[in-house]
Amino acid sequence: MVEKKKTTTKKTETKKKDTKKVAPVKQEIKKQAPVKTGPSEKPRIGVFICHCGTNIAGSIDIKDLEAYAKTIPNVAHTDNYQYVCSTPGQKKITDAIRDQKLTGTVVAACSPRLHEPTFRTATKEGGLNQFRFEMANIREQNAWVHMHDKEGATDKAKDTIRIAVAKASLLEDLTPKTVPVEKAAMVVGAGIAGMQAALDLAAAGIKTYLIESAPSIGGRMSQLDKTFPTLDCSQCILTPKMVDVGRDSNIELYTYSEVDAVEGYIGNFDVTIRKKARGVLTMAEAEARGIIGGGCNGCGDCDPVCPVVKPNVFEMGMKPRKAIYINHPQVVPLLYTIDFDSCVKCGLCVTACGPERKAIDLEAKDEFIKVKVGTAILATGFELFPIEKKTEWGYKKFENVITGLEFERLICASGPTSGHLVRPSDGETPKRIAFLLCAGSRDNTGVGKPYCSRFCCMYSLKHAHQIYEKIPGAQTYIFYMDIRSFGKAYEEFYYRIQDEGTKFVRGRVANILEDPKSKNLHVYADDTLLDRPMDLEVDLVVLASAVQPSEDTNRTRKLFGVSCSMDGWLLEAHPKLNPCGTTTAGVFLAGVCQGPKDIPDTVASAEGAASAASIPIHKGEVELEPYFATCIEEKCAGCGMCVNLCPYSALALVDKDGRTVMEVTEAKCKGCGTCGGFCPGGAIWMNHFATPQIVAQIDAFLLGGEQ
Amino acid sequence: MVRTKGYPAALDQKLQDTRLHNDDSNPEFTKNVKAISRTTAHMCYQCGTCTGSCPSAPRSTYRIRKFMRRAVLGLENEALTDPDLWLCTTCYSCSDRCPRDIIPTDVIMAMRNLAFKRDIIPVNFLKTVQSIYKTGHGVPNNDVNRAAREKIGLSRDPPTTHMYPEYIPGIQKILDHYNLKANSDRIVKEREG
Amino acid sequence: MSESKFKFAFYLGCIAPNRYPGVESASIKAMKKLGVELVPLKGASCCPAPGAFGSIDLNVFYAMAARNLVLAEQMKMDIALVCNGCYKSIWEVNHKLKHNKDLRDNVNEVLKEVDMEYKGTINVYHTAELLYNDKFIGVDKVRDSVTNPLTGARIAVHYGCHLTKPHKDREFEKEVMLNTEHPVWMEELVAALGATPVEYRNKMQCCGAGGGVRGYDIVHALDIANEKLINITEQKVDALTDICPFCQLQFDRGQIEIQEKFGVSYNLPVLHYAELLGLAQGMSPQDLGLDLHGISCESFLQKVL
Repeated sequence: MVEKKKTTTKKTETKKKDTKKVAPVKQEIKKQAPVKTGPSEKPRIGVFICHCGTNIAGSIDIKDLEAYAKTIPNVAHTDNYQYVCSTPGQKKITDAIRDQKLTGTVVAACSPRLHEPTFRTATKEGGLNQFRFEMANIREQNAWVHMHDKEGATDKAKDTIRIAVAKASLLEDLTPKTVPVEKAAMVVGAGIAGMQAALDLAAAGIKTYLIESAPSIGGRMSQLDKTFPTLDCSQCILTPKMVDVGRDSNIELYTYSEVDAVEGYIGNFDVTIRKKARGVLTMAEAEARGIIGGGCNGCGDCDPVCPVVKPNVFEMGMKPRKAIYINHPQVVPLLYTIDFDSCVKCGLCVTACGPERKAIDLEAKDEFIKVKVGTAILATGFELFPIEKKTEWGYKKFENVITGLEFERLICASGPTSGHLVRPSDGETPKRIAFLLCAGSRDNTGVGKPYCSRFCCMYSLKHAHQIYEKIPGAQTYIFYMDIRSFGKAYEEFYYRIQDEGTKFVRGRVANILEDPKSKNLHVYADDTLLDRPMDLEVDLVVLASAVQPSEDTNRTRKLFGVSCSMDGWLLEAHPKLNPCGTTTAGVFLAGVCQGPKDIPDTVASAEGAASAASIPIHKGEVELEPYFATCIEEKCAGCGMCVNLCPYSALALVDKDGRTVMEVTEAKCKGCGTCGGFCPGGAIWMNHFATPQIVAQIDAFLLGGEQ
Repeated sequence: MVRTKGYPAALDQKLQDTRLHNDDSNPEFTKNVKAISRTTAHMCYQCGTCTGSCPSAPRSTYRIRKFMRRAVLGLENEALTDPDLWLCTTCYSCSDRCPRDIIPTDVIMAMRNLAFKRDIIPVNFLKTVQSIYKTGHGVPNNDVNRAAREKIGLSRDPPTTHMYPEYIPGIQKILDHYNLKANSDRIVKEREG
Repeated sequence: MSESKFKFAFYLGCIAPNRYPGVESASIKAMKKLGVELVPLKGASCCPAPGAFGSIDLNVFYAMAARNLVLAEQMKMDIALVCNGCYKSIWEVNHKLKHNKDLRDNVNEVLKEVDMEYKGTINVYHTAELLYNDKFIGVDKVRDSVTNPLTGARIAVHYGCHLTKPHKDREFEKEVMLNTEHPVWMEELVAALGATPVEYRNKMQCCGAGGGVRGYDIVHALDIANEKLINITEQKVDALTDICPFCQLQFDRGQIEIQEKFGVSYNLPVLHYAELLGLAQGMSPQDLGLDLHGISCESFLQKVL
């Protein structure tokens, strides 16, 4: 690891050189500062109103709006079109700029998040600087929300356009800033999503840091026995990938580690990794300490001597582990871990490990490693919703009520029962098994989850199949509301399971009661198709519990500045057209952290994210919007009050020509405007959001165009 | 297909068109149920948690899920004329467990309110009204109980409207505001003569 | 016992004072010993019966319940009551009127005719809640007040429905009271009296009497009660306890009706928790009017006295 630190330092040096490379851009922008009093020429603004089919035209009177737009000061040209974003629509913009000698453009259409790039390009093609364009959102923030008030919506659209014209009249030329991209990526989470993303990035020649908080990789998929609908053994298809990850020279794997801090922006993220104290040295780490031929070889001699017994979370607590442990025999990396929360430091393991290997360090401390990456992929996965909160089903109260994940371990040959499915209460083989779908999913009570967890239907079908594989004479019941078998070959799988003898009961289970003597369960439900309430006695109940974002997801996403939806799933940039991206440039999403997905969808999403994350790296540089603060040095009194206000530490006081003035580090500035709004001398100019521009917008609104 | 076929009565009954037709639905019914119940009956997805929880269902043809369906579809006549409407014990088990966060019990109460507007109501409900109108109590005191109360050191009548009958006219005014006593008397008389 | 720490307007309802007066006298005396004074709520009426009135016209239901609430508002006292049905009417209407201006305005329009105005200034509590919540009394104080422990008595608990359901609308300070699937807080109160609480199948099932069903279809209502009686007596208990006089009526008088109509008998004594508490604090069966019960409490009394 010491060696790695060195690599990192080297990288930083390279980066510094790169920063110098872009310095001219910075100076160019600086030069503009003194002329920041508005363009000298008389503004000539073109206003283009989009119908967006009936999206806008359905609730706003376009004719009236255009007639009004003609009356707004500085408007030299107006037009309207069905779809301004279309090629002919864009041509209207480019033509008008040339023909009408426009100094700025306003498109009244959708959200800038959708088409600002489109219209900027059109503006540029017409011969204007692309930042001479302003968007008036009359769709999302108007037509769609005032669908039933055409008059009100039209009035509001007039205001919006007037305000946009006021700003467009004062817009000035800006040059986007270009920064180089570090040729390395990070993937957080080494489940199947993170592993696949890392393998793809690595195959594309990109150095990839793969961070996993658990002691070994493989995630949820490694806990599964078989996978639907093909019934492949999960471990059999996963293990080769795990081995590949461990072997790939482009992948630097950090297990039992988490992201501690993130600084920077696309192309240049400085990430601090916390390697949690593991207490066990790899062979490489041992060698670095001068223990030649030592380090953990996974022999397991430490395990039997450890006196501390804890539940094995990988086995859903159904098997014990020691304070020094591996979760299961196929772990990658094959490396023991000490759980220092329960270790009593008796030293027995150290003795067992012996003086040659010397792999155990009971005084290990967390280590922090800094790396620089150009892009990052979050693949933090999911966990089960604590289904005991739905008290009517008695999970954790009735022994023979288990979750789907517990079922996976119980039916798995490498699981705690060597694959013999047994009732937790008495170890007997269950003959009557009920599966409850939507356990905590599609639940609007505030206790469960309102969404569909998407893969429970299919894994429950698979569970039913596995019972018929292993327990002759068994009878399975699947309680469902809808069977959602939408994937490739899924409906066919449903057909097969029904054919095998599973009884599908179309009804959600109302409650479960336990027979105190037999520990059998009475399942109460309404067979809605038969229109008859039922009291079904079974030996085992399996709850297809809802899934939720994994515990660490929220902390990690905050570090990377990624938003989440109300239920905690990470928010993609666009649900259809940019499902792997986020609103933070350079940060991408893979797998279930973005929303419930089965394995095929997870892998597809991971490959998508890897592809998206590799683009900026292969391009080598990215453009940043030049929205940073600039100091008008003649006005700056050097008071330094802005320096402490800046949330990004982008400002500093410097001596220039014998005066103290503020200086902006543009790479750090996010253009938030905190400093610009505060500066008592008006010496800070916010590019593209300058005070005169904003004041003009406010005036345009308050004075109703009568200025 | 005409719904009444003009056959002899018995055959018309036997062969009636049982399909759901547009005019079976009254959208106003859905709205009224929602307004009175103050819950979202129209959001029911028919999972059956309610019926599975219902203590009345296993011993009768009462299916709360069916009433929820009728609320969704606006099947006013079918809902209000079904005698099972009156078999809900209002235990609220369905409401406790409904995954759509609906309160089906209150949907039943709303339908009963709407039924009453059409004079559909079991007489025992009205007798409670009559008793309260007269005494302030649904289950009034009696002489055996008065004696017992006295024996254990309580007043013969409790300090309610029983001991303070001067409060009864106020109660009567409230009930009369809704014309409830007159309506109850009228319906009871129609039923029992 | 010195000056009472808490004072409540005691809302009686109908069945407690008019059928099981022991519930009334035991509540007043037992609560007094625990530092809670129950002051008569003069001129109170039926809550009104939530099943009957709620079914007919919810507006009348709101107005009638509001009248009772106003009586307590005029006394500037929170209400305490002993019946789940009353709790549903009085607590729930109070809650609804406090949170919905449209309902409050409608109700006040009617109350104006009788020179009353609902203001929303008081809270409503069930005595079971006061006993369980240590902010008022708490299980420990209940235990300390026992002079005649009910040792050896096996007692099944019937929670009833309308105190805690629907739990999503309830706001108990003690969160365990919101568990309507597997609650044990009443068992704790029973154990505090020295008795042994006994679990049984489907404990949270309804008594069958509510919603006007007892009046509408008596055998239907009794069949629900009978299912519970089967589940309870399976566990060889000495008594059933409840916190709702209407449930009590259904199980107590109901057993006689079940005997008449279905030909099965259980002779299971049914006592309101207030009556049990009275006994445990040393009140005599005569003081509690237990002879008014439909099912003789003798077998149970022999065990505990």
